[in-house]
Amino acid sequence: MSGDVVLRAEDIHKSYGKLQVLKGVTFEIRKGETKVIAGPSGAGKSTLLRCLNLLTMPDKGRVWLEDIELTDPKVDINKMRQKIGFVFQEFNLFHHLTALENVMIGLTKVKKMPKEEALRSAKEALLTVHITEDLWHKYPAQLSGGQKQRVAIARALAMDPVIILYDEPTSALDPQLVGEVLQVMKELARKGVTGLVVTHEIGFALEVADEIMFMYDGKILEKGPPKEVVFNPKHEVTKKFFEKIGRLYGERR
Amino acid sequence: MSFWEEFLPALFSGVITTLKLLAIAMPVSVALGILLGTARVYGGRVARVLATAIVVIFRGFPLMVTLLILFFGLADFGIYLTPYWAAVIGFILCSGSYQSEYVRGAIRSIDIGQSLAARALGMTKMQEVLYIILPQAIRRALPGISNELIYMIKYSSLAFVVGVPEMFSVAKTFNSQWFMPIEIFMTLAVIYLAMTTAATVGFKWLESKLRIPGIEITTR
Repeated sequence: MSGDVVLRAEDIHKSYGKLQVLKGVTFEIRKGETKVIAGPSGAGKSTLLRCLNLLTMPDKGRVWLEDIELTDPKVDINKMRQKIGFVFQEFNLFHHLTALENVMIGLTKVKKMPKEEALRSAKEALLTVHITEDLWHKYPAQLSGGQKQRVAIARALAMDPVIILYDEPTSALDPQLVGEVLQVMKELARKGVTGLVVTHEIGFALEVADEIMFMYDGKILEKGPPKEVVFNPKHEVTKKFFEKIGRLYGERR
Repeated sequence: MSFWEEFLPALFSGVITTLKLLAIAMPVSVALGILLGTARVYGGRVARVLATAIVVIFRGFPLMVTLLILFFGLADFGIYLTPYWAAVIGFILCSGSYQSEYVRGAIRSIDIGQSLAARALGMTKMQEVLYIILPQAIRRALPGISNELIYMIKYSSLAFVVGVPEMFSVAKTFNSQWFMPIEIFMTLAVIYLAMTTAATVGFKWLESKLRIPGIEITTR
């Protein structure tokens, strides 16, 4: 595997019963890159993302993180998942823990970090996503959607992951809260945090992504520089999709 | 000696015996309930089958029958339990089985996203259950669990069938000697009422102490 490739998926297949969701997806992502996966719903975007940290087990195909094959049954997947941040559409913050505890629990229980050190890392991660001290001791139910998602990003970030996977991170948010989450994601991308983002936010893709992969019907139909894929796609379905998305999401950046 | 001079000290020692039964049976039954409820959702095949069998049996048997089996039945196999321990074990098995159903329901009511997020962080199944699932499930199950424990205070009177000198058996004995049912059983009832009321207040306090915004633990 070449030098700075951090994640590589090869020929990923996944079916649910007769429904073929993924029909052979191959791609790789290098250190520091941000790649966006776009495509109509049902194209297999979320399933693909979950196949990468094996929350969903692919039927066929292989996944590597750095030089370790995750799909190798001998690999301790729990250990490897520590290195893959995952941000969910529905945030999935732990309801019984405060913002700070949500970020700390992976450090203290999974990474077995001493409490002092975990506290320091957690606070740093929260500040990185602009969650200020007044919110640290609030429970998820006391936070807005945008704050929850930023805490969720901090939870992933604090683990010092090789890559963060974002599964439609702004789709469950009220429109006025989308901006603050996208802002944080852009800042992370610019800092060189490797990210793979399933999103309909084309503005985000155009601004910070190194590449857009357009998924259609369980495959990557085309990929390339964001401007190319959005404004000058090779396929008619891609063109139609981005026209429609453009109308729906307007000029949001 | 007058009736009251004799009755009250005897009843007092009965109350102490009842409290001694509850002091062990209550906490251990909660532990058993959590263990059984968790095993039925997260256990391997063997643990699941075993836990289910325990729950089905001890929820299905009348408690009095369970107590008689523990005390007299086990003796046939050379297992001699004292009345006290037969009663404590019977209460634990019965109440723990009921409580496990609240725990199981509470675990099942937790949305799958909590589990996915725990796994995505790299938690093992054990860590997920201990640090994420149970702290939430126990809070949700608490009203049901406290209900069972309050119920246990009252059915602790059944310990008389295996000869534990708890407060009900003291009252019963006195009534057969003195035949003063109003005085005797009203006094007894008031003590039970005081115990259940104290327990109710205690559990309400515990519920409010453990309350976390967004996790409903009280049914209103």
